[in-house]
Parts: sequence; structure tokens; C-alpha cells
Amino acid sequence: MPALSTEGQTTNEGGGRKAAPYRRPYWLGALVSAMGALWLYNAYFLPQGARYAAIGPGLFVTIAGAGLLILGIILMVQIHRGERFEPQDAEDAAADAPMDRNAFLIALLAVVLPIIIMRPFGLPITAMIAFTLVCRAFGSRAWVVNLITGAIIGALAWFLFSRLGLQLGPFFGQRSNTLFAFLGF
Amino acid sequence: MSTFELLMQGFGVALQPVNLMWALIGSVLGTAIGILPGIGPALTIALLLPVTITLAPESAFIMFAGVLYGAMYGGSTTSILINTPGEAGSMMTALEGNKMARAGRGAAALATAAIGSFVAGTIATLALTFIAPAIAELAFYFRPADYFAITVLAFCSVAVVMGRSRTRGFISLFIGIALGVVGIDAMAGQPRLTFGMMQLLKGIELTVVLVSLFAVGEMLYVASRYRSVPGTMVSIKGQSWFTRNDFKRSWAPWLRGTAIGFPLGALPGSGSEIPTMLSYTLERKLSRSGEFGKGAIEGVAGPEAANNAAAAGILVPLLTLGLPTSATAAVLLAAFQNYGLQPGPNLFSNNPALVWGLIASLYIGNCMLLVLNLPLVGLWVQLLRIPRPQLYAGILVFAMIGVWGLAQSWVDLTIMALVGLMGYVMRVYDFPIAPVLIGLILGPMAEGYLRTALAASQGNPVALVSTPVSATVMTIAVLIFALPPLLKRLKADA
Amino acid sequence: MNLKSAVLPAALALGLLTGAAQAQVNVMLPAGTGGGWDTTGRQAFAAMNAAGIYTGGVNFTNTGGAGGTIGLAEFLSTSTGSADALAVFGAITVGAIELNSSPINLAEFRPVARLTAEYLVIAVAANSDIDTLEELAAALKANPGGTPVGGGSAGGVDHIALALFAQAAEVPVADLNYIPQTSGAETVTGIVNGTLVAGISGTSEFSQFAEQGRIKILGVTSAERRESLPDVPTFAEAGYDVELANWRGVLAAPGAPDDNYSMWVENFAKLAESDAWKQVLATQGWDDYYLGGEEFGAFIAEQTETQGQILRDAGLVN
Repeated sequence: MPALSTEGQTTNEGGGRKAAPYRRPYWLGALVSAMGALWLYNAYFLPQGARYAAIGPGLFVTIAGAGLLILGIILMVQIHRGERFEPQDAEDAAADAPMDRNAFLIALLAVVLPIIIMRPFGLPITAMIAFTLVCRAFGSRAWVVNLITGAIIGALAWFLFSRLGLQLGPFFGQRSNTLFAFLGF
Repeated sequence: MSTFELLMQGFGVALQPVNLMWALIGSVLGTAIGILPGIGPALTIALLLPVTITLAPESAFIMFAGVLYGAMYGGSTTSILINTPGEAGSMMTALEGNKMARAGRGAAALATAAIGSFVAGTIATLALTFIAPAIAELAFYFRPADYFAITVLAFCSVAVVMGRSRTRGFISLFIGIALGVVGIDAMAGQPRLTFGMMQLLKGIELTVVLVSLFAVGEMLYVASRYRSVPGTMVSIKGQSWFTRNDFKRSWAPWLRGTAIGFPLGALPGSGSEIPTMLSYTLERKLSRSGEFGKGAIEGVAGPEAANNAAAAGILVPLLTLGLPTSATAAVLLAAFQNYGLQPGPNLFSNNPALVWGLIASLYIGNCMLLVLNLPLVGLWVQLLRIPRPQLYAGILVFAMIGVWGLAQSWVDLTIMALVGLMGYVMRVYDFPIAPVLIGLILGPMAEGYLRTALAASQGNPVALVSTPVSATVMTIAVLIFALPPLLKRLKADA
Repeated sequence: MNLKSAVLPAALALGLLTGAAQAQVNVMLPAGTGGGWDTTGRQAFAAMNAAGIYTGGVNFTNTGGAGGTIGLAEFLSTSTGSADALAVFGAITVGAIELNSSPINLAEFRPVARLTAEYLVIAVAANSDIDTLEELAAALKANPGGTPVGGGSAGGVDHIALALFAQAAEVPVADLNYIPQTSGAETVTGIVNGTLVAGISGTSEFSQFAEQGRIKILGVTSAERRESLPDVPTFAEAGYDVELANWRGVLAAPGAPDDNYSMWVENFAKLAESDAWKQVLATQGWDDYYLGGEEFGAFIAEQTETQGQILRDAGLVN
């Protein structure tokens, strides 16, 4: 997660001069170029032409890959020349404030955790956990209230939208028998 | 019998108390489900298809019409208030609408969206009543080269949402195009960039990207820089209702949006995305207030009207020709078939009560939604009074439900996390968000039409500008791109 | 929460209407809601319920994409060995497995029943010089590139039908200018405005446009002439050996216990005889194409063989 290492040290002083502790975010351009390279690599295995259409399935992949590769390099050059980035305005956020890394990581956990627990534990429990984590990231310490609110929102949403015919999986999730027998559930 | 008499008969059907009740249920249901990110009218109606077994066809279609319009209203509400467009059609609304809500003008934004939708819906329904057959013929007239030219024109609209840096704007656009090529290539049936994963064969769902970029990215960003200043809990400072000045600024965009949305909605493939993008571009180009990007009411009024007019537009080829031009229309066609009915010219002669009842119910549905939504505007903005931790937590939970409900796939949840993280980085380093979505929506469309046009002409590129429409639209697109810098240079020389 | 108070009554009213029953059999519908496979599955169980053949609960899962291969892969991983797990699939799946080099092997599943078929038709614009299949074959032979033909996805049944026709007319399959369209609507408009010289699609999608006088239907892929299209010759009549249907059927999970398997084979056999199902076929415009149990298995094996060969001839699969 390179975003953390550089962003944590961003300050407001120095227009990208060497004296400032500002670390230039070259990784941004590198990441864009890497994505472009990955797409180009995949395009290499796709036919670029077609019998009659002149352009084949590979062309747009090549365009997207080459575009990203070049744009990433341009961005790195711009960064080298001292391009500065001003965070976008958002309500409730102080754009010039340093990043609160702990809050960010807790919020990210709320997004990542459902990938693992959504299927085995079901939507309501997952919603309850994600809800509480986000509240914590925003500084709320009312654990019990948040857990209950999250559970109610999750359960209500599950009930309503399942009744409407939306498939949201079993209420308490679908555990693979072998795995959970192994874990002793 | 004249069209007018037939329409009056239709009102006779639609105004029966039982059918009014179904229109109400449809409208409420559509609004409610439109609030859930990612669940649009097509999926909602698909979920309701089983009712065709028990309901009379008139009642069912009257309810579906309510759902269709209701989902549009619901989508704009979340776009404006919590910057979470539920579907591609309300993406443009979020750009200016949410800025307005932050400036304490949420009520005005919601009102212009609701009234604009009503105006557009009414005009479009009138057009559907009286000139539908003529408009429907357009569908047969347009060739792949014409559609390709329209996508190029829409691509040019990207420039207006580029933000401060061209490089970063183009990076956003190309990321969108790159994500758009994932999945099975429709023309050659070849998997592209699926990394051997089954779940990626169907491509990256637009709604997942939409929800993640807006809702998840925003939540992560605000969490990392959250400063709760006492007293700012209530962000609706001095509720300014819809003023006379707002109306003066809104009515022209409503009409222009309707004029763009209705005919484009009637064409196969253009959906609600292209009309809303074009309307936003047009309003931004026409605007002199300099408010665009900071919450211009024109930027909400135009796209919202275009979105609703396009929704009525899709009914034109469906009812008159039996030609489904969008996902929603395809689901409606399935509903017709469940009743053993085949939409098309014969439907008008064989089932006048059904067709005219449906058209009349569109008028009624629109009125009902206006009555339902205008008083609720005040209630909706109360949503913003929820304390921030719980509000953002709620947004994430709803985004998650929307993504999970699509296919119960952990792959979608992973994409949500990755794209959400990308949305966070884009906010920190000031990359514009909208071009990603424009690339993702238009890239595959442009590719498909380009390849069809070229294959049909055996690779002759002249075919791309060989029809009057394609030549004209292509010229407009080039002018939009080339004219402003050219004028600037001329002025500088003078 | 205002939101909730608005949703609740409507949702309850609707929930009662649609009625979510206790799940007893799990049915995988490997396509989006509202599509052909979805309708087939849901209508089949509705008819079974109405006819009293099976009145227990049914739990449907929709997992669409890639010709059903995504849904079947999930079915394979979640339901192998399950007693009461079924999946709907069809002719398109056979080609899609080859085309996407999917690891699925249809022979692993237990074949329950083939249910419906829709035959394909080939059409040209109403004002086209081409009036018969022979003339279309001649045009394809003289200038295959200049005779673009549209239809469904690459390697799907429409494409296979055209390839069979080309083979019968001695046109190299690899020379065909076949242009997949995203929907039947696009194929029709393409034929009418001259982008495509001809188009292939299901009977139901084309017949009303022929009635409107916009297109001419040249041939149908069924063995006998269709009642609804009495003037349209079959390909066989015109001397081309093309008999092909877009069929849909039901599979049971691999390793399903014999008792449950034979119960479902029997249930679907009864369904095929029932009036409720005949009613569904009539309203939906589907053809009865019932074939039960192991005979269906032999049919799938044969289809896998022929379609694979055609896709190789067309250069779509190595």
C-alpha cells in the first residue's frame, strides 16, 4: 500500500523542491504504467486484426494499454518537474489535514472483510461488523449502539430485499461443511 | 377512433381504483429500490415478473410503469444527497447535485430533479402518444456508423468533466476503457484479461464500479481526513427552497434535456447514459454563471430531464415495433410474452385497452411521483442530519448490499474493495472520477459499433462517415474538440 | 429512518404477492432474470406446481454470463453430490464451453430432461434481390465478405446454423463474414437498413417483422414446416442439411443419488405430458422438445461432438 507511506509525510511547504520533506509520488505514474504494461502484455496474445473488420479483439486492449503506459510516463515526468496534487474537496473532510492512518485502515478493513465473511456468515452479520468498523473509523465509540444499529439495518435490509426477490444468500450464511467441521463449528 | 379518444379510454382504465393502487405501489416500490445503489429499474421489474402470473395485464404494466419512473426519482435522490448514484443514468446528477447539497441547496436540487423529471416525463409521454410511430422508424434508419459517431460525440463530452489536469483526466478515461475490455469479447467470443477467472468472463459490472468509486472511495477518503467540528453536524444551513430564480434557470435545461433524451432513448443501445452525458455537456457549454463544478442547478435539471425522457423513449420502439432497445425494455418484453402478447403494431389494434391504459398510467404515475416526492424532499434532506459516523457506515452497508445482490459473488466484493481504494487515491491526488465511468460505458459501445461498421464494409474506413447522420455528428464532434482552442488563437491574434 | 417507513408497507404487500416459500430444491438458472433460461426454469416449476407433480418449495439462483458456463461452474462447486439440485442450460452452453475453454464437462452432470426448442430462421430485407436460400447460398459463394450475416454471439446457435448452411452450400466456413449483434433488435434493424445482407435469429424474434413486411424469411431450421410460417421452406426442403434447434434442458448435480435423480427424471416426464405445461408452451411460443434421462445424455454428447467440430472449422476454436 504505497499510498500510506508517501501520503503520511505530505506537507504543505515547498513547491516540490529538494529541501522539503515532500516525497514525490512517482509510484502513481509507475502504477498507471504498470497497468498499461499488463494490458499490453495481454493484448499481445490477442489477434489484432480480423478477416473482414480490419480490427480484431486485441486492438482496443492495445490502445488502452499503450495509452496508460504513455500517460503513466508523462505523469512521472510531470511529478519530476514538480507537479503538486491538491486533494479534492469533500464535505466533512479537511483536505489539507494529514491523513489519519488508523482511521483509514479501519475503514478499509470494513470494505475488505466482507470479501471473506459475506458468504460464510451471511449479510446481516457482515453488515453489522462493517457498520461498526466504519463508525469506529469515524471516531464513534458507542460500540453497543453501533453493533445493534448495524445488525438491525442488515437484518431489515435482508428481510425486505429478499422478500422483494433479490437474492442475498441465507440469513446466517452458507458454511462449507468440511471447512467448519475442521474448525470445530 | 382518434388518438385523443383512445387516450381518454386509456384514462378510464388507468383511473380505476384498483389500477391506481397498483400505480401507487409501483411508484413507491420503484422509488424505494432506486435508492439502493446498483439496483435499477430493469432488475426491479425483472424481480417483479412473477406477479404476471396472478395480476391482470393492465394492472401489471401500470405497476411496471410506476417502477420505471419511480426508480429514476429514487436514483437521483441518493446521487444528490449522499453522492451515490445508483445507476449510470444518475451519474451526471451527482456531479453538480451533490455539490449543491453540500452548499445547503439540497432541497433546491431535489426539487429541480423532481419537477424536471415530471416535466420531461409528461412531454415525453405526450410525444409517445402522438408521434410514436414516426420516432420509432428512426430505429431502422440508424446504422452502426451513426451510433459510432454518437459515441464519439459523447466521448468528446469527457473534456468538460476532466478537472484541472489533462493528463490525469486522460488517465481516468483510459482506466475506464481498460476496465471495459475485461470479459468475453462479444465479436470474436474471446476472453480478454480474465486472468483465468470464470467470474470475470462476463466483464466488470458497471454498477459495481459506479458504487465503489463514488460511495466506497468517498467513505475511505472522508474517514482518513475526518474532522468533526462541533456544530457542523447539521449541514443544511438555512434551507433554501426552490426559488423563482431557480425556476428561471431550470426550465430551459428541462426542455433541452427532454429534447435530447426522448429521441436517443428510442434508439437501440444508447440507453440513459449517453443522453444524460450529452445534456450535461450542453448545459455546461451554455452556462455563463461559472458555477459549474461548484453546484450549478442547470447541471441537475438537464440530465434529470434527459434521464426521464429517455425512459419514456424506450417505450416507443417497444410498443410500436416490438423492438426492445434497452435492458429495461427487454424485461418489459419478457413480461408481455408471459401474457402471450407480442408488442408491435398489432398490439395497438388488438389490445387498445392495455396500450392506452399503459400510456395513460404514465401520466398518472408522473403526477403521483411528483405529489409523492415534492413533500418528501424535506424529509429526504433530513437524512443528512444523521450523525456522520452512522451516515457513512450506512452508505457502505447499502453499497455492499447492492453489490452483493447482483450475483452474490466474492469477486464483485473484491472489485468493490479495489476500485474503492482506487477512488480513494483518485481523491487524494485529484484525478477526476467521471471519465473512468465514461470510458467504461462508452468504450465497449464504441468498440462494438466500430467493428460492426467496419466488418459490414469489409474494412473500409470511409463507411464510418458515409451516412448523413454519421457525417454530421462526426463534424459536430470534431468542432466541439477543435473550435474552442481555434477561437482562442484567433482572439489572441486579433 | 424515513426510508424504512416508506419501504415497509409496499414491500410487505409485494412480499405476500410473490410469496417466498421454504426452499427444498435448489435450481440454478445460469442467466439473468427475465431471459429465456430464467423463464424456462421458473415456468416449468410453476407448471409442475399447478399440475400437482411437485408442490414443494423451490429456491432459484440466477448466476448469468458466458453462455451459462459461469452458473454451471458454480453449480458444480456448490452442488456436487447434492440430492435435490438442478440446473437449467441449453444449446448455447455447449458452444460456450468449447469457445471459452471452460473446464466444465457436460458429461459429468446427470441429464434429467430436454424440454423446449426454438427453431431458427434466416431472413433478408424485404427489398432484397435475394428471394430463396439458393440465391443466398450463391451470394455467399460469390462474395462471402460482401455478404455480412448478423446474429447472436460468436459460436452461439445462430453462428452454428450459418456455418452448417455454408458447409452444405460448399462455402468455406472460415470465409464467412459473420457479425455478432448484441440483441435480436439490432439484427433486425441491421437487416432492414442494409448493414447486414442477412440475419439469423429465433422464429419468435423475426416472425412479426416479416408480418410487418420489413424482412423476408428464407428458411427455417426445423425438420417440418412451421404452422406459424406455412410459406417458409425448411433448409432440408431446399437441399441443405441444416436441422438445428435452440433447445433448453435440465441437469441434475454430478453424483446425485440414484433415487432422487430418477424421481426428477420422472417428474419432468410427467410435466411434459401435463396440460399446465402445454399451456405454458402455447403462451410462450415454445416447441415441445422433450427427451428424458439417459437418451438426453446421448443427445448432449452428440451435440458436443458436432458443435465442437463446426467451431474448429470456423476457426473459432483451435
